[in-house]
Amino acid sequence: MKMRIVAGLLLLLPLAAYARAWKVDAAHSALTFAGTYQGEKFEGRFKHFDAKINYDPTNLAQAKFDVTVDIASVDTSNTERDQALPGKAFFDTAQFPKAHFVTMRFRKGANGEVLADGTLSLRGVGKPVTLAVKFAPQGNGAELDVQTTLKRLDFGIGSGDWADTSMIGNAVTVHGHLALRP
Amino acid sequence: MLRNTDTHWGSVAQAFHWLIAALIVAQGAIGLTMVELGMTPTKVRVFALHKSIGLTILALVLLRLAWRITQRAPREVPMPHWQLASARLSHFLLYVLILALPFSGWLFNSAANFPLEWFGVFHVPSLTRGLDPVLKAFALRTHVVLFWVLVAVVVIHAAAALWHHFRQRDDVLLRMLPMTQKSRDLQRQRALP
Repeated sequence: MKMRIVAGLLLLLPLAAYARAWKVDAAHSALTFAGTYQGEKFEGRFKHFDAKINYDPTNLAQAKFDVTVDIASVDTSNTERDQALPGKAFFDTAQFPKAHFVTMRFRKGANGEVLADGTLSLRGVGKPVTLAVKFAPQGNGAELDVQTTLKRLDFGIGSGDWADTSMIGNAVTVHGHLALRP
Repeated sequence: MLRNTDTHWGSVAQAFHWLIAALIVAQGAIGLTMVELGMTPTKVRVFALHKSIGLTILALVLLRLAWRITQRAPREVPMPHWQLASARLSHFLLYVLILALPFSGWLFNSAANFPLEWFGVFHVPSLTRGLDPVLKAFALRTHVVLFWVLVAVVVIHAAAALWHHFRQRDDVLLRMLPMTQKSRDLQRQRALP
């Protein structure tokens, strides 16, 4: 009996050594953001991004998110704004076509929520960013929701005359919803 | 006199007429200028101003129409039938145009999914469910065409008023101007056979 338990535990060991790797179902996943423009909320999304997700809620030490975003795929449902955003004053996609986020460590917050500390590289600026992580197993897959609030001016998005935060708010909330498949 | 009299438009009707006229001239000038601006925050502010003035005109025209239909208009100045018919047609067209122009602008703004704030004081709702490229293109064409039709009708309207005043020497223009002692005398003088 004792031997069986030991054998069973030994079998689990290799699993504990790395967190589970997931496939992202792009069709059911979205990377969206919300900001303010002329005092009104607007929403946008990045149509193309690549997320490598290693996550097991029981083994946060081994969890890792590595996300690359195709910035030129930005879509805010406004033709004029979508033409302006890739320009030099905003994302400057000619020089910085990709944004990259990679986690450094996962930890538990004050209310037991999972937080992922990482580094976001956007428009040539690297900044520490913390995501609030919600993980909900669904069948043999899972739904992963992450959220954070960025300050656009930290990354020089909307420089020069566009730095005026009464026209374009500084705070931008970013939300990722990923459908994870085994 | 706030109300219309038999011979004169009242001061409410006059205020509506001249205030809306001034706003339309300013609005036209802003509209023609703003589309030439480069993509800067100034352009965004000038567009926001154009939208706020347009909504103001729309609201004023609705109030003006409400006042117009609850008031008796002054007696028609005696003139040939074709002049009267032309005047009625152009007045009708003017009302239609100054309602349709701000409305088409509002529709364009909605279909383009731009923000809409009245002078930054309150939000004005969208007429569409977000971006609608087909409706956007239609509304913009309509807005531009209606503007140039309005310019044409306003020129005819103003030219006719001046023609009545200086050539026909009747009271068509005077009765839309604030009553001065001079205009009162002039009217009394003309009333004599």
